[in-house]
Amino acid sequence: MLKTIKPKNARAKRILKKREPKVEENAKTAIFVRGSTTSQVVNDALSDLCCLRRSNSINFTKKNNIHPFDDDTSMNFFCAKNDASLFVIGSHSKKRPHNLIFGRMFDGQVLDMIEVGIEKAITMSEIKSQKCSVGMKPLFIFNGDLFETSQVHKTFKNMMLDFFRGQTLESINISGLEYVISITATGSIVDSDSTTPSTSDGKIFFRVYTIQMTKSGQKAPRVELEEMGPSYDFKLRRTKFAKEEVYKIATKVPKTLKPKKVKNIDVNEIGDKVGHIHLGRQDLSKLQTRKMKGLKRIPEDDDQTEDWSHKKRKV
Amino acid sequence: MDVSAQLEVQKSKYKSINVEKQVPLQFDLGLLAGFDINALEENKLKTETDNYLKSYTRDGTQLLINEIFQLPLTSIQDVGVVTELPKIVTAIPREKPLPKPKPPTRWERFAKLKGIKKNKKSKLIYDEAKGEWVPRWGYKGANDDGSNEWLVPVPDNADPFEDQFSKLREAKKGRISKNEARRRRNIEEAETGANKKTELRQQISVAKTATASLGKFDKPIKGEPSNTKGVKRKFEPNLGDVQKEKETRLNILNKIIDKKGEIVNVRKAIAKNNQQN
Repeated sequence: MLKTIKPKNARAKRILKKREPKVEENAKTAIFVRGSTTSQVVNDALSDLCCLRRSNSINFTKKNNIHPFDDDTSMNFFCAKNDASLFVIGSHSKKRPHNLIFGRMFDGQVLDMIEVGIEKAITMSEIKSQKCSVGMKPLFIFNGDLFETSQVHKTFKNMMLDFFRGQTLESINISGLEYVISITATGSIVDSDSTTPSTSDGKIFFRVYTIQMTKSGQKAPRVELEEMGPSYDFKLRRTKFAKEEVYKIATKVPKTLKPKKVKNIDVNEIGDKVGHIHLGRQDLSKLQTRKMKGLKRIPEDDDQTEDWSHKKRKV
Repeated sequence: MDVSAQLEVQKSKYKSINVEKQVPLQFDLGLLAGFDINALEENKLKTETDNYLKSYTRDGTQLLINEIFQLPLTSIQDVGVVTELPKIVTAIPREKPLPKPKPPTRWERFAKLKGIKKNKKSKLIYDEAKGEWVPRWGYKGANDDGSNEWLVPVPDNADPFEDQFSKLREAKKGRISKNEARRRRNIEEAETGANKKTELRQQISVAKTATASLGKFDKPIKGEPSNTKGVKRKFEPNLGDVQKEKETRLNILNKIIDKKGEIVNVRKAIAKNNQQN
């Protein structure tokens, strides 16, 4: 754990203030770290993935003796130091060749991790094509029903969305939709709730394409894709899931960001907007009921009482 | 002239944007994401992996783009066509926990108890003597104590040889240091919690009983709170000293009736009542 730092100057104070918890958070920073031994495939993968989210990611090139599945303290320190909440660790060993660990942090602690092995890799530079510009938000396409049924895949999907989505935006420029990340899962599940990947010969295909939009004669354009790279065939290995109560705190939506409940306005089945107006209690004493002679008010009665008071005053 | 035929010709010039899927895709447009749960063709995936993935993803992307173009589009000059994105549906964990509310200061706690509301005041107020608008406080402010003037009146019954200038300056220094001390205390209480003192007292009394003799022979610590736990109540005998009884009763009466002779101090009573609620 880092010591609580007391800022010594205004600049440090500003930086520390930026690191404080916020209601609306900034884009997460990711760090790309190499393990004790790495292969060229892993090195390329780390730098390519770093490239994909270039504006807020840091690529470290020195080797580190880090094994987050055994001991996550050094990762906690590494992330706290860089104010990062996403990390990728690349390593290569006989037991787990070409290994990548994707992980997330919450409140300075490791939240969850998924380990994948790279079975086939093509780097971004190997594919000769137009690349997307820096800092663009990607589109995501997840193929395969495993992303709905298997717990491991669900977490992997959430993690990928978290990894590449960048800043939360209210509106987006259409011309900024430049590339799409396609993640396809194959294989059949054995146990859907298992925390370890139990798919037999299951693979995850990670592909990145640039989008070309052409006229279609309609409002939406015709879409064509061109492979941009990198492309990987992943195999799921070890996982570490978040504790339920921690995950619950982590996904809590602040009260100010929750949509306000609109009172008295509904949309009915047909799609019409229907409003309720609340009137005050009706004054029934002035209600006109059936006219009958017996119920008729005698106006002379009122006059008489007035006369009486008049007389009294005179006396 | 048949327009529909012409439209058909126009349409056939372009490739279609329609995609057939057995199960319609799920979208999370806040994240620009589409989720396809249709079954993949395993054979094609094995034999021509890359081509199949590309064409399959194109179909998905086309559907996603179609969906995005159904959102309200606005064109802004020099920027291009912009669309508003809906809120993100998928729960994605935060980076840091939600910010904790700032602990209230002593004044804020007191104001809440009394129901005092903050009302916004204008920064400038009109100074009748000067005939101009001056700041309420601060440099050349309306609440200036006058120590910067060339003349300071000596109040009645004051020592004529006393330096009134330094007296004002000292008073101001005193106010500043008092305010600073209160600020420090607020920070301290925010860090430790306002109930830290009572908590400590409890801890001391618990720790004291942790000896074999339950703390009976321990040396008392300086400023140690007297232990009230386990002390039995003692009542006065029913028949006894009349003088003493009279004294105690009178004491109580004196406490109830304050100096002004009112039976009940209304202001205090209301405050007490509010506190208890």
